[in-house]
Order: sequence, then C-alpha cells, then structure tokens
Amino acid sequence: MALLALAAIGVPLAGAVLMIGPGRHSRRAAAAIVVVATAVTAGLCLLLAAHAGAAPPAGLTLIQLVPPMPIALRVDAMGALFALTVALLGVLATLHALVWLREDRRYWQYHAVLLLCMGLMLLVAFAANLITLLVGYELFSLAAFVLIVHQRSPKAFAAGFKYLAYILPASALTLIGTVLLVFHFGSIEFMPGGVLDRAIPPAAYVAWICLVLGFGVKAALFPLHGWVPDAHPAAPAPFSAVLSGVMVATGSFAMLRVLFELFGPAALGQMGVMPWLGTAAGVGVILAGVLALGEDDLKRRLAWSTISQMGYVLLAASLLDTQALAGALAHLANHAFIKGGLFFCAGAFIFSAGVHKVSELGGLAWRMPLTAVVLTVLSLALIGVPPLSGFVGKWMMGGAMAADGALLPLSVLLLGSLLAALYLWPVLAAIWSPAEDNAAVEPPARGGGDPPRLMCLALAGSALFSLLFGLAAVVTGYPLGLAVRAAAVLTGGATP
Amino acid sequence: MGAELLDARPALALLVSATGAGLIMLIGYRARLRAWLAVGAAVLKFVIVWSMLPGVLAGQVYGLTLFEVLPGLALELRVDALGLFFALVSSTLWIPATIYALAYMRGRQGQRRFFSFFALCVATTVGIAFAENLLTLFVFYELLTVCTYPLVIHEGGLAARRAGRRYLIYTLSGGALILTGMVVVQHLAGTLSLSGTGILDSIDNHAALLAIFVLLVAGFGVKAAIMPLHSWLPAAMVAPVPVSALLHAVAVVKAGVFGLMRVVYNVFGVEHMRVLGFAGYLGLLAGFTILAASVIALRQHNLKRLLAWSTISQLSYIVLAISLLTPAATLAGIIHLANQAFAKITMFFAAGAIQRATGKTRIDELDGIGRQLPAVMASFTVAGLSFIGVPLLAGFITKWYLSLGALQAGSGGYMVVLALSGLLNAAYWLPILYRAWFKPPAGVAAAGNTSPLAGSAALSPMMLVPLLICAAYVLLLGVGAEAPAMPFVLAEAAVRLVFGLPGPAP
Amino acid sequence: MRALAAFADWPHLLPALFLLPLAGAALLPALLRTRPAVAWASALAVALATTMLAVLALVRLLGDGDYGYAMAGWAPPLGIELRYDRLSAITLLTGALVSLALLFARREMTGAGRRQAVLYCSLVLILLGGMNGFVITADLFNLFVFMELLSLPAYALVAMSPARGAALAALKYLLPGAVSSLLVLFGIGVLHALTGSLNMADVAVRLTPGGPSPATVLALVLISVGLLVKAALFPLHFWLPDAHSAAPGPVSALLSGLVVKMGVVGVVRMFDVFGPALGGAMQAFENLLLILGVLAILTGALAALVQHELKRMLAWSTVANIGYIFVGLGLAGSAAVSGGIAHVFYHGLTKAGLFLAAAALVERTGLHDIDDLRGLGHRMPLAATALSAGLIAVAGVPPTAGFVGKWQIALGALEAGRPELLVVVLGGALLALAYGMRVINALFFRAPVSDQVVTASEAPASMLVPSVLLVALALAGGLSGARVIEFILPFAESLGGR
Repeated sequence: MALLALAAIGVPLAGAVLMIGPGRHSRRAAAAIVVVATAVTAGLCLLLAAHAGAAPPAGLTLIQLVPPMPIALRVDAMGALFALTVALLGVLATLHALVWLREDRRYWQYHAVLLLCMGLMLLVAFAANLITLLVGYELFSLAAFVLIVHQRSPKAFAAGFKYLAYILPASALTLIGTVLLVFHFGSIEFMPGGVLDRAIPPAAYVAWICLVLGFGVKAALFPLHGWVPDAHPAAPAPFSAVLSGVMVATGSFAMLRVLFELFGPAALGQMGVMPWLGTAAGVGVILAGVLALGEDDLKRRLAWSTISQMGYVLLAASLLDTQALAGALAHLANHAFIKGGLFFCAGAFIFSAGVHKVSELGGLAWRMPLTAVVLTVLSLALIGVPPLSGFVGKWMMGGAMAADGALLPLSVLLLGSLLAALYLWPVLAAIWSPAEDNAAVEPPARGGGDPPRLMCLALAGSALFSLLFGLAAVVTGYPLGLAVRAAAVLTGGATP
Repeated sequence: MGAELLDARPALALLVSATGAGLIMLIGYRARLRAWLAVGAAVLKFVIVWSMLPGVLAGQVYGLTLFEVLPGLALELRVDALGLFFALVSSTLWIPATIYALAYMRGRQGQRRFFSFFALCVATTVGIAFAENLLTLFVFYELLTVCTYPLVIHEGGLAARRAGRRYLIYTLSGGALILTGMVVVQHLAGTLSLSGTGILDSIDNHAALLAIFVLLVAGFGVKAAIMPLHSWLPAAMVAPVPVSALLHAVAVVKAGVFGLMRVVYNVFGVEHMRVLGFAGYLGLLAGFTILAASVIALRQHNLKRLLAWSTISQLSYIVLAISLLTPAATLAGIIHLANQAFAKITMFFAAGAIQRATGKTRIDELDGIGRQLPAVMASFTVAGLSFIGVPLLAGFITKWYLSLGALQAGSGGYMVVLALSGLLNAAYWLPILYRAWFKPPAGVAAAGNTSPLAGSAALSPMMLVPLLICAAYVLLLGVGAEAPAMPFVLAEAAVRLVFGLPGPAP
Repeated sequence: MRALAAFADWPHLLPALFLLPLAGAALLPALLRTRPAVAWASALAVALATTMLAVLALVRLLGDGDYGYAMAGWAPPLGIELRYDRLSAITLLTGALVSLALLFARREMTGAGRRQAVLYCSLVLILLGGMNGFVITADLFNLFVFMELLSLPAYALVAMSPARGAALAALKYLLPGAVSSLLVLFGIGVLHALTGSLNMADVAVRLTPGGPSPATVLALVLISVGLLVKAALFPLHFWLPDAHSAAPGPVSALLSGLVVKMGVVGVVRMFDVFGPALGGAMQAFENLLLILGVLAILTGALAALVQHELKRMLAWSTVANIGYIFVGLGLAGSAAVSGGIAHVFYHGLTKAGLFLAAAALVERTGLHDIDDLRGLGHRMPLAATALSAGLIAVAGVPPTAGFVGKWQIALGALEAGRPELLVVVLGGALLALAYGMRVINALFFRAPVSDQVVTASEAPASMLVPSVLLVALALAGGLSGARVIEFILPFAESLGGR
C-alpha cells in the first residue's frame, strides 16, 4: 500500500526528469510523457483512495534525514483525499496546458516543473511526519516560483518576487515551529489526536503561532494572503488553476495535519487558540469576497474568490468539530475542481478571444458555448447551489455550525456565499448577454470559437466532476466519504 | 574509551604532502610531472586519512610523538574523532581542489612555487587536525599562515601585496595572542594536552581563566573571521580562485574554528565553560557576525567578495554552535565544517569557471549565464539553496541541529537569528540565481542553447568535474547524512567524546 | 660511547681546552707566516680538535658530574682551579662556531686579505682559547686574564675589517671595553682585600659572614658593570651596533654569538660568588637585571625595526636577545634561569648562523642596505633562504631554537607572579618577526633595484655550508629543547646557593 504511495510520488518525478531529456526535443514526446505520467499517478491515487481506510494506514520509512524522524510515508484517509484531488486536477490541468503552451518554446520547462510540483504535493499528502511534509512543502514552494514567472513578463516577475517575499519568511517560521515541536513535544509523527502526552508547555503557543503563520501564507489566510491576487493571475492559466485549486489547499492541508495530528483537538481546546484562527479566516472570507467585487480582471477576481473560499476551510476547522471538519475537507477537494475549472475557463477566454477583463466578456457565450456552459455550472457550484459539489461541503459546515450554536461563523458562511453570487453574477450576465449588444467587439485573433479539443476536455472534465461529486456525494466514497472518515480520525482518534 | 595505539599513519599523512611539496619545488618544472605529483600526493593522503576511519569509529585513538621540544611539551600527533573529521574534510576536498587548480592556473607563471605551497598547506592543515596538544596545533597553525602567504600574493602587484601584508599582520598577531594564552595555560594546568575534556578543570582563578579565554578566542578568532577580526578575509580575495577556495572553504578558516573547538572542548571542557559563563559572550559575538556579515554581503557587487562575506557569516554559525555547549549544537558545528566547506568550494569553483569562460567577475554581469554555463550554474544553485537552508541539502541539516542545540541550551532566541540569516542568504543568493536563469544574456539574443553542457565546452573538464562532484556532495551530505557510511557517524562520535556520553545518538 | 669515555678520562682535558688553541695561536705566525693557506688549514684543524676536546669534556660531565682540575697540581685556594660544570658545556659551542667561522672565512685567506690571513687566524685562536678558559676557570684573577684574552683579539679583529668606519668602530669597542676591564680588575681587587683569596668558591665562603656589607656591594657593582658592558646589556650596549656591523661576517658571528655571551657567563658566575653573602639583597640586583633586560628587549627590537642596514639590524637584534637572557636571569626561578641560559646556547647558534648568511649576501654583492638587496633571494636562493630561516628562528617561532628559551622565560614570569612580562616577551617576539618579515619580503617578494643583485651568483660552498648548517641547527634546535632544558635545570636550580 505504502509502496503505491511511493510510486505515486515517484511517477511524476520520473516524468519530470524524462521531460528534461527526451521531452524537450519533441512536443509529441513531451505530451506523451506528461499525459501518461499524470494519468498513471491519478490511477494510483484512485487505488489508494479506494483502499484508504479499509485497513490501518500502512507506513513506509525511507531515509533518515534528521532525527528524530525519518522521511516516511503513510496512507490515510485525509492524505488519500488530498492526493486524489491533486492527481485528478493535475490531469485536467495538463490537458489544458497542452493547448495553452502550443506556441510556447519553453513548454518542456513548464511540464517538467509542474510534474515536479505534483510529485512534491503528493509527498506532502502522504507524509507520515512533519519533516517529510516540510521537505515536500519547501521544495514545492520554490518550484512554484519557476512556474509563476513562466511568462517572463515584468508583471510575472513582480508577482513572483512578491510570492517569494511571503514564502521565504514563512518557511523560516515553519522551521522554527517544527524545531520547537521536536524539542518540546518529543515527536513530530502525525498521530490522530496529537502527540502531546504531557502538559502543554508554554513554547507550544509560540510553535502554534509560527506554524499557523508559516502555513497560513500559502493557505491564503488573512492577513497573509497578499501574494495571491498577484501570483494567480500572473501565472499561465493552467497553472493558475493548479495554484488556486491545490496549491493554496496544500497550505490548509499542512496546517490541518499539524493542528489535528500533532497538537490534537484536546490540546488545542485547552490552549484556546483556535478562535483566533477562526476569526482571521472569517475576516478573510468576507474581505476577499468584497474585494472580488471590485476587480475587473477576471483572473484577479477569481483569485480573491479563492482566498474567500479557502477561508471556509480554516473557519470550519477552528470549531474543532467532526462534522465541520468533514465539510471543510470535502470543500477543500471540491473547490479544487470548481476553481480549477473556472480558471480553465478564464484561460480559454484569453486563449481564444484574447479577453482578460470582465467588462470585455460581452456576449462571449454565443461564440464559445461550451466554455460558457462550463463557466455557468461551475459558478453555480461555487455559490453552493445543490446538487452541485460546492453545496455538499457548505451544507455540512453550515449544519455543524448551526448545531454547535456557532452563529457568527454560520453567518460568515452565508455571507460568503452571497458575496460569491454577487461577484459571479456579473460574469455570467456578461457572457450570456445577447449578441447584438456587443456588435462593437471585433472578432478576436483565434477565430473566437471554443478552444481546441484538449482544452475543452479539461473544461468539461472539471464541470463533470462538480456535477458528479455533488450528485454522488453520499453514494461513492470520494470525496465525501473519505472526508468524513478523515475528519472522524482527526478529531476522534478513531481507527482510520 | 578506546585504546591508544601507536601508529605511523598520522605522520605519514603529513609527510606525503610535505614530500610532494618538496618534490614539486625541486623537480616540478614540467607541467605533467607537477600535475602527477600534486594529484598523487593528494590521493595518497586521502587514502591514508580514510584508512584510519574504521579504527577511530571503533573507539581507537592513534598517536605518535615526534619531538620533545620542552620538558613535558612535545610535538605530538593524535587522531581522535574530531580531528579525523577535520582531516577527512580537508583531504577529501584537496583532490578536487588540486585538479581544479591545475586547470585554472594553466599558462600562468610561478606554478612550481604555487603547487609546492599548495601541497604544503594541506600537510599543515592535517597537522592542525591531528595535533595532540596546543603547542603542536600552534606550530602547524602558524606554518599554515606561512604556507598560504605566497599563495595569497601570487598574482603580484600592489593590491596583492597589500592584501598579503594585512593577512600576515592579522594572522601573526592572532598567533601571538594564542602563544600568550598557551603560556598561561601551561603555567596553570601544567600541560597543553588536547586529549582530555578540560585540562583547566581544577583551576578556579577566574581572572586568569578569563584572560586565557579572551587570548585564545581572539587568537583563533582571527582565522575564524569573527568580527571585528575579519577584515583580512575580503581583502584576501585578490588571490587566484583556487587559493580563495582553499583558504575560505577548507584550510585557513576551518583551522580557526577548529582551534576554537579545541579550546572550548578540550582546554576548558563543556562543563567548566558552562559554569564560567564566558561562552555566552562568544555566542553574542557570533550572532552579531552572522547577521552583520550577511547585511554587508547584500551590498557587494563583486562575486568573490560576496562569497567572502558569506563565508564570514557561515563561519560564525560554527562559532555560535561552539558557544552553545550542547550536544546538538556541537554536532551542528562539526558537520558544518563539512557542509559549509563543500558548498562554499562549489561556489568558488563556479565563480572561477565563470571568470575563466567569460571573464566576468561582477554580479550584474551575470545575466543569462545559466544559459551559457548550465552545469556551472546548476552547481552554484545547489550550493546557494544549501546556504538558504532548503531541505534535502547540507545546509538544512546544520540549521536543524543548530536550532535544536539552541533550544537545548535554553537560548531559543538564536533560532530567530538563524531564521533571519536564512532570509538574508536568500536575499543575496536568489538575485544571482534569478539573473543567471531568468534574464536573457546582455546584448546577446537568447538563441536557446539546449544542451546542458554547452558553453562549458570552453571549460576544461578538469575544472568542471571537481565542481560537479562538490555540488553532488552538497546534495549527498543533505540527503544521506545519516546513512551508515557517511562521516556523520564520525561527527556523532566526536560529540560523544566531548560530552563524555556513551552510546550512539547525541 | 665507552671508547669516548676512556678518552674523556684524560686528566689534563680541561687545561687543554684553552692551551691547545693558545699554543696554536702562538705557533702559527712563528711557523707559517708565508703560507697563509696552510696556516688557515692548521687553524681550522686546531679549532676542530678543540671542539673534540670539548665533546670529551662534556661526555665526562655526563658520566661523572661536575669535576675540577688544579693547575700545575697546586690545590686551591692557592693554586688556580679549573672547574667544568653544566654551564661550561658552552665550550662545545665555542669550538664549533669558531671552526665554522674559520671555514667561512676561507675566501678571505686568499686574495686581498692574504697578508693578514695568518694574523687573523692567530687572533681567532686566541679568542677561542680565551673564551674556553673564561668559561672553565674557577679563579677570579684567572677570569680577568681570560677576559682580556678574549677581548683584545676582538678589538683587533674589528679594527682589521676592510669596511668603512671599522677603525672608528673598533675604537668605540675598545674604549668601553678597556674601562670595563679596569672596573672588573678593581672589583676583583676589592674582593681580594676583603677575603684574601682569589678562588671563586673560597671567596664566596669567606664573604658570607660579612653579609651585605658596603664593600661587598661595591665589589659586585664594579664587577657587574664591567661584565655588563661586555655583555652589552642596556644601557651599556651602545658600542655593539657599530662594532658588530662593521666587523667582517665571521667576526660578527663570533662577536654576537659568543663574545657577548661571555659577559653573561661572567655575571652568572658572580651569582655564585656573591649570592651566599648578599642573600636577600641579591634580589635587588636581580630586579635591576630584570628591568634592564626588559628595556633591552624593547630598545633592541624597536631599533632593529627601523634599521636600513642588514648587519646593523642583526646587531640590534642581539641587544634585544641579551635582554631576554637577563630577564630570565633576573626572574630567578629555575624555569626562567634555565630559559635564559638555554637562550645563551640557542641564540649563539642562531645569531652566528644569521651573521654568516648575512655576510654571504653582503659580501657577494657589496650592498649593505636591506632595500638594496631586494630580489636577491632569486639569485642567491640558498644563502637568502638560510637568512630567512634564521630570522624566523631568532624570532622564536616554535619549534625553532629561539622558542625554547623564550617559552621558559615566559613560564618563569608567570611562576614569579609577573604576568605583565608576558607582554614584553611576546611583544619582543612579534617585533622580531616583523623585522624578519621585512627582510624576507625584500629578498623574495620584491623586484631587484640594484645592478649588483641582478648579476649576483650564489655564494661558494665555504660560505654556504657553515651558514646553512647553523641555521638548520637553529631551526631544528627547538626540537631538542626538552633535553637542553633538562640539562641546564640542575645548574639553574643550584645557582646562587638557593
């Protein structure tokens, strides 16, 4: 089982290496390598997700980097959930990218680094201890820079440097937090219920702050979100999808791991620090939603939306409630495809119609019907309309908040959905507006129709997943089943 | 405690290089012969030093008395875990350094003198590593100064002479301070031996102990480039690149911190130092140096000078580690001897390769050089990331243990210093990486060299291979630190000796 | 060893130590006036033979301990007694250095110096005899006689130098020397008046009941001032820089290496003579020596630093090193004293080697200034390397010869509770290193500025062998330091009857 996890990590990495070799000379070879790699990885993750939870988590120890923990892997429900999300989105993003990079000479660099990032994110997903997670996390953070600046424009570099300026202090903080944990807790191996077996030392608070701030940067936690609105639009569209879809989620994932499996709900409750996290997350939800309203650039609007939506995850987690957490994890997974898909659409608009701004979107639906339909479906999913996938997570989170009497978070949740509707409505209205209102818009470069087949495939795929996961929420295991199981483990210490 | 065995190998290791040096000076008129002699001596020495590893790991100690200079004071060699570690690092690095130097110095004048002294330097470095007592250490320490002087001023000219003069004044003054301290130690303790864990244990004359501490720390601190005794180091950058690599990565500066280690661990002993409380000041000084040197590095335009200031900062990591007096910190200090050495020598090799291939020495000339010299810049990138502290590279291991050590000592504040230092490192390495990889070469259209080794064709493989090997080692030290065959185990053994601990883990 | 021991038992070994060279000195002009080359060879042979005798004497000492000899069979205190103790081992050095100096001077035996060659060799042999006798005599008046026997040839040898200002330098040497001899004579006279004896041990015994009486003190003052002039201790050193720099190379070597040390030996003997009588008051004397020694170190080192001429620099270095020796003697602990006496040996070796190497350089090029000698290291590598190595050795870098004495003196300073002296000891060493580095830098790392340098060629073997040999011994001398110190220690411990 754990070997499969190793394979799942290894395949993308191998693909990355191959890309630098044979892949750089022939587009065909590159396409083949990247599609095969992502597909195989997705298949492996599917297998792992299916079996995760069927048996106690299998572990695999690799090398001893620094004591006390070796580089080790472990397949549990939460990890499998995240891994499958990454892998599937990776497939879709690759399809999108194959078209997007059609005229880009440095396509092989993109694919190689993307595969590298995928492998590293899977390492984070399957990490059995904080050291392993850190290795994947830090390396992946650095690799992401390369992709953010892929277009090599001044805007891209500015966004990239801003990203670095946030990420580097964050990594310093995570290191300090990790060392503090090692020293005071004695272990940094992820254990359901936490590893603290003694009284909470004062240093634990310092460690908590360091780790929350450290991971919070990537998780776009308010007020550490500043890099997101610049970086996500500046990156090439397929990577923006990945950024918004899973990269930010990686930050949340890591934070959840640390909070629930190192500190543990009991200790956290005693420390009384979670309300602070919840407050920050809640403010983020509202603020980001409001700021999204004012953005004309479509990708920037979507970036603010990401900040807002991801705030839900940490808001719910701060309640230390099983159902809320299950909802948060489900939302994490679903949001990946929703936001990913939305960015695919934005990419399609740029690619086929040369349109970046919401104000220029007039009547595009009539020329790019498939894209418009996908956009509509995904927007509805984001707002939380049943039976689309976005509804599932929000329903669970809302339900838990209501049950706990946490009225403030509940109102934040509802307000956030309202804001989502508010900032997505103009987009929909614009693209579906009648053609005659937009006669002034001249026909764009690439014929203006729906993008080429592969890109459409990616678009359709994401919409499909949204639909599927919404409908099949209770029937199949992914993502809801896994999320529920994972949450149970994290909060209750039940066998995973 | 293992057995003390009489063994000729410590002396042999010394003699091999010294003989090589002598031969080069006498008969090394032809380039080929010189090359064979230099590399041969380096390889032989490597073999001899490594051959002592299994024994020392098993707890044995090799010793050999040479001459009795004064009653009770002899020139004596002794190989324990700490000394062997230092010797291992030096002798391992000597081989790539020699090969690189042979390629770099091709066609330049004065090669006979250069390589002869080059070989002598490693002989004296090993002498420092294997010194049984302060006198022996001092003798080889000063000999190292003398042997490196002709190398520093090799280029000739006013700047070189000035730098050489400054180098001599600083290092010889440092030597005088050490000598003074030594006399006082001999007077108080009756011995200068480094084989125990504190010959000053039973002395409680606080004033005298403080005097000894100040004298010895200041004396060794010159070569260890602790501020404010550091200014010889950036000036010495006028030396040819292989010499800078040698001085700053391997021999001279490491000898300084090694001397500090011996003073704190073997002359005073950790327990005594903790009681006396002097080490705290040393830690503060080290912390200051770490940050101040990094800040100054930010303002450098010349690549080699940047490397010099980075070295000053990194050396104080080791000094900080020494001052914390805990097992994890000691381990960090010892392994940073290796980690910083390999990473810094990689960078110097890269700088030299760039200079040879393109003539560029300033950072703002390095636009797009990643395209021209990909292998060189890739190695440089690995080294730079290692200094920033990216996991899976050597620098991360040091940071980890040093942070742990600071917590063990109750000085958690130093973790902040380390974090800041990491950020400062990023601030001056990342721009170089950015320029090299992401900016188009100035004036030349980016034609897109697709082969990884293009442009390096102008570089001899004798310069490229050592560079790649050292970069690979940075990775190896980061990933495989705890693998059984690595000298990491040796460092742990050294820590156990220092703290008198039994068993494996620190 | 046993065969040597057999020879060492020759009863007349001790007088032979001075009689042989004196006899040789007398015979040379008588027999070989017209054959300078043969004269030189004979002188060398005599010097070597004397050295052999010294070896035998040492062997006997190692076997049997201190021993004595009564001249003409007359027992002391009436007769003249000779005594060989550990300090007398310096005869080994005298013989060896004289031999090497003669070897070095071979070139001068032919060519221009030919006419004076025989006189030269003869004077050198008298010098040797005088020094040996000085060191082994146990009789005060005998001491004076030998003192004159070693001083007069010295004046003459300086005067014979072809260098400019040699005659003036010789005069500057002669006048203080003559005055000092008179002072010593007066002092001996006072002692004789006080005790009626001239035998050192006897005088010491007879002085004791009187305690630190003014007369005794007067005698001490007279004798020591005289000896200190000879030893060139600050501030009585003023004659040395001129004399030692004007003299020809081998002569400078002997003067700085040996003759000056005879003053030290004399003072050391006086410790034994006056020590028991003066008791605690001796401490004041030692303190004085200490202070003067410190001043000598500082003056000598600083002055050396600013010299332009190579040989003058070496002369000032001698002033500084004499200071070290007296600091050691003044500290009076066994470590310090042993250090000081060891330094007598070691510095003798080193400075002789230095002067010979310097002479090789100077006399081959005709240039005296350090700056003029720039770049000479590449034309005359062996001689220049010898000079450089000697400068390192004289600075006292471990493990060279200069280190042993200085270390012991530093230890002695700490033992006596005077850590401030460490600054002086090590500061002096640093300064010595500085002026040494100056010369090395000029020789090897600067471009030539004089024609004579460019056309110079390496010194001949007769010059190289002695200088290289001495410098090599100086470099390696420190390695045997433990044995030498251990050898001296019993003597140091028993000095002055404490």
